[in-house]
Amino acid sequence: MSENEKRVGVYVCHCGHNIAGTVDVEHVAEWAYNLPNVIISRDNKFMCASTGQEQIEEDVKEFNLTHVVVASCSPHMHEKTFRNAVERSGLNPYLFEMANIREHASWVHPDDQDGATSKAKALVSAAVHRVLHHEELTPMQVEIRPEVLIVGGGVAGIQAALEVAEAGHHVYLVEREPSIGGHMAQLDKTFPTLDCSACILTPKMFDAGSHPNITLLTYAEVEQVDGYVGNFTVRVRKKAKMVHEDLCTGCGTCWEKCPKKVIDTVFESGLGYRKAIYRPFPQAVPKYPVIDVETCIYYDTGKCRACEKFCPTDAIDFEMQDEIVNLEVGNIIVATGYDLFDPRRIPQYGYGRHENVFTSMEFERLVNAAGPSDGRVVLRDGETTPQSVAIIHCVGSRDKNYNGHCSAICCMYSLKFAHLVKERTEAEVYNFYIDMRTIAKGYEEFYDRVLEEGAHFIRGKVSEITDATHASEEEGKLVVVAEDTLIGKQRRVPVDMVILAVAMEPRADAEEVAHRFGIGCGDTGFFTERHPKLDPVATVTEGVYIAGACQGPKDIPDAVAQGSAAAARVLSVISQREVALEPVRATIDEEHCSGCRICNTMCPYHAIDFIEADSVSRVNPALCKGCGTCVAACPSQVISGAHFTFDQLIAEIDGIMVDVNIDEPLVAAEMV
Amino acid sequence: MNTQTFFDRVVEATPGGERLSRCLQCGSCGGSCPSGADMDHTPRGIFALLDGGFEEDVLSSNTPWYCVSCYACTTRCPQQIPITDIMYTLKQMAIHRGHYEHPHAAKFSEPFIGFVEQRGRSFEAGLATRYHLFHRPRDFFQPMQFFKMGMMGANMMRHNRLPLRPKTIRELDELQAILNEAKAIADQEVYA
Repeated sequence: MSENEKRVGVYVCHCGHNIAGTVDVEHVAEWAYNLPNVIISRDNKFMCASTGQEQIEEDVKEFNLTHVVVASCSPHMHEKTFRNAVERSGLNPYLFEMANIREHASWVHPDDQDGATSKAKALVSAAVHRVLHHEELTPMQVEIRPEVLIVGGGVAGIQAALEVAEAGHHVYLVEREPSIGGHMAQLDKTFPTLDCSACILTPKMFDAGSHPNITLLTYAEVEQVDGYVGNFTVRVRKKAKMVHEDLCTGCGTCWEKCPKKVIDTVFESGLGYRKAIYRPFPQAVPKYPVIDVETCIYYDTGKCRACEKFCPTDAIDFEMQDEIVNLEVGNIIVATGYDLFDPRRIPQYGYGRHENVFTSMEFERLVNAAGPSDGRVVLRDGETTPQSVAIIHCVGSRDKNYNGHCSAICCMYSLKFAHLVKERTEAEVYNFYIDMRTIAKGYEEFYDRVLEEGAHFIRGKVSEITDATHASEEEGKLVVVAEDTLIGKQRRVPVDMVILAVAMEPRADAEEVAHRFGIGCGDTGFFTERHPKLDPVATVTEGVYIAGACQGPKDIPDAVAQGSAAAARVLSVISQREVALEPVRATIDEEHCSGCRICNTMCPYHAIDFIEADSVSRVNPALCKGCGTCVAACPSQVISGAHFTFDQLIAEIDGIMVDVNIDEPLVAAEMV
Repeated sequence: MNTQTFFDRVVEATPGGERLSRCLQCGSCGGSCPSGADMDHTPRGIFALLDGGFEEDVLSSNTPWYCVSCYACTTRCPQQIPITDIMYTLKQMAIHRGHYEHPHAAKFSEPFIGFVEQRGRSFEAGLATRYHLFHRPRDFFQPMQFFKMGMMGANMMRHNRLPLRPKTIRELDELQAILNEAKAIADQEVYA
């Protein structure tokens, strides 16, 4: 097609007031007629609406358009929408370019209408100049492997695994700890119905452990992820458990005989003990123990081996090594959960200094019938029943010094704690809160119930927890100091026990994990979904989904819903059998390739191989992500990235440099 | 003509004051304040009054005058509002308006800042003498009052907290330049 035969249509979107409130869209559309090869230029209230899309289809036919430019929002939002419209009109969808005049103009320059309008014109000009160099491209179809990797065996991961396995596809469920179950396995009751957490979780854990379509990889971590949607290669390190699972029966003789007692900081939150060879809790799945080599006497002194001596099936193997497993999967669901806030970071709350200040997870273990106090609400001495208990909300949440976000679950679990204290003791309960947030079904009713039970609610963020007494009734107590904001007075409430409702935080290694799976972390550090409302479990990487609290604070029902949602998304991809890959890829002009192999090592996706026979490098199109690293690196300049060619980029720069104040055709355009 | 609201003026006069609008009314400030029990409104209460436009109630409140600048509220505020600095702004505004309930607070501040201007630091023995001589001379003729003050003075002296000779900092002229600049800013109409 010669230059003169190219016919461009330009569509400038108002996006309601989002763009038109700042940018003079009519003027931009009018001005676009000055740009080369523009045949038709229109403005439209909502280009993404069906009328906007149909306008493109009609115009392509009526004016024989060959290229289309839409100036609207971010391509992230609607590039696919408009490519589909262009394709329906009979053109190749890649003969289209989008100018972002919302995020890049109207939203960032709300106070400068003239400037924003000029910038919009420059962006439209850049898109028009660029689109003239676009070429027809065809997506590559690749087959999708039906196997699914799920990372994290908490309730979200278990739910997703069961849904996928039930649909008949194989699941690899990778869990860092020796057992699946996650935080939910530590809890006693669940709000607002108060059903026993273990009673509802253990059947699911058991199902996940025994399902023929689920391979559990516990005590294991994902080390590397390569490939693309449909064909990921995942390297998993299975840490040495020192116990052969095929021989072990889970009889428990080993941990009974183990002489080394260790404070259990994980499952029992530091309130209980385990042995150096241990199973985290009785309902653990799998039921087999692991040896903690950090604390085992044998690894320290070379002596002991009591577990080995007493094991009836010879399952103990002190020489066992970590094992690397390579998995081939088509889709990945990341459900790595959350960490709890360490309240030592707020010194005025005295956690770690005052022994009867507890974290919420410590209290969960205390009230758990299988916990260290057999479910009795007692002080740290293990005997005394408190006469008064304070529950402090928002510890590390809604506080810009720590975490700005609301942790979503603390109001409800604090109400649950208030109820459990009332149920098991005669104690007075004081809830110190900023705002009560009881937003889901049955939650407000539960709040009502706890109010009726006589718990006190004091509206004020606690200033400090101190043992410095001012009055005789404070002797031997912890004094909770706060302003009761509803009466405008300072209050000092002496109590025996304080429970800190600590925040949900992103995992300490969330950023590293995000990088490994090619997903992003937002401001708060939780993984970023593709769209906060309409695509909550997908990520920017095709084939990688997120579920549960790794995406943001959420309670059990929401985590389960996301687990199911992610599974549904994966199943729909699997049922398509193949997926179209973006044709945005690098190609090497082999005739001019010098075979220097610089690109081979630069490629972050290991997509370039050196072909010994021909002494040239070649790109594996299925692995290439079109990042452009090799294009920039090639000393002979013989690699080009489809859809990001030199011509296209230079034209785009030429376009953005035009003088937007000149109101005459920049290049003779054929007017209708 | 000034179309700004009282709230806006307080915000503008305080570095970081724009954060005031994000107050959650959580009360960490009121709970943390060592003088909170003596205030007629806690800082949080003052911010609610500010938001509601109750200018007279704010400027006649004793709250800013009981602020001891310990900054406990500011360090603990979950919204990082410069609470102590806002108290200073309110004090300034109250003085400019001649509108404050506790004249002694201002009268105490004057000799205090006088010493800081002359010597670069406070001089407690001189401050106590000057304040009582000029503003509360009758205290000297009330035996109980005089005795109590004497005891406290002796106690402080025993702990090396009440030196009898004033000290002067190095490079006082630089501090004075800073103070003069601050005064020039304070004299701008924002406090008027």
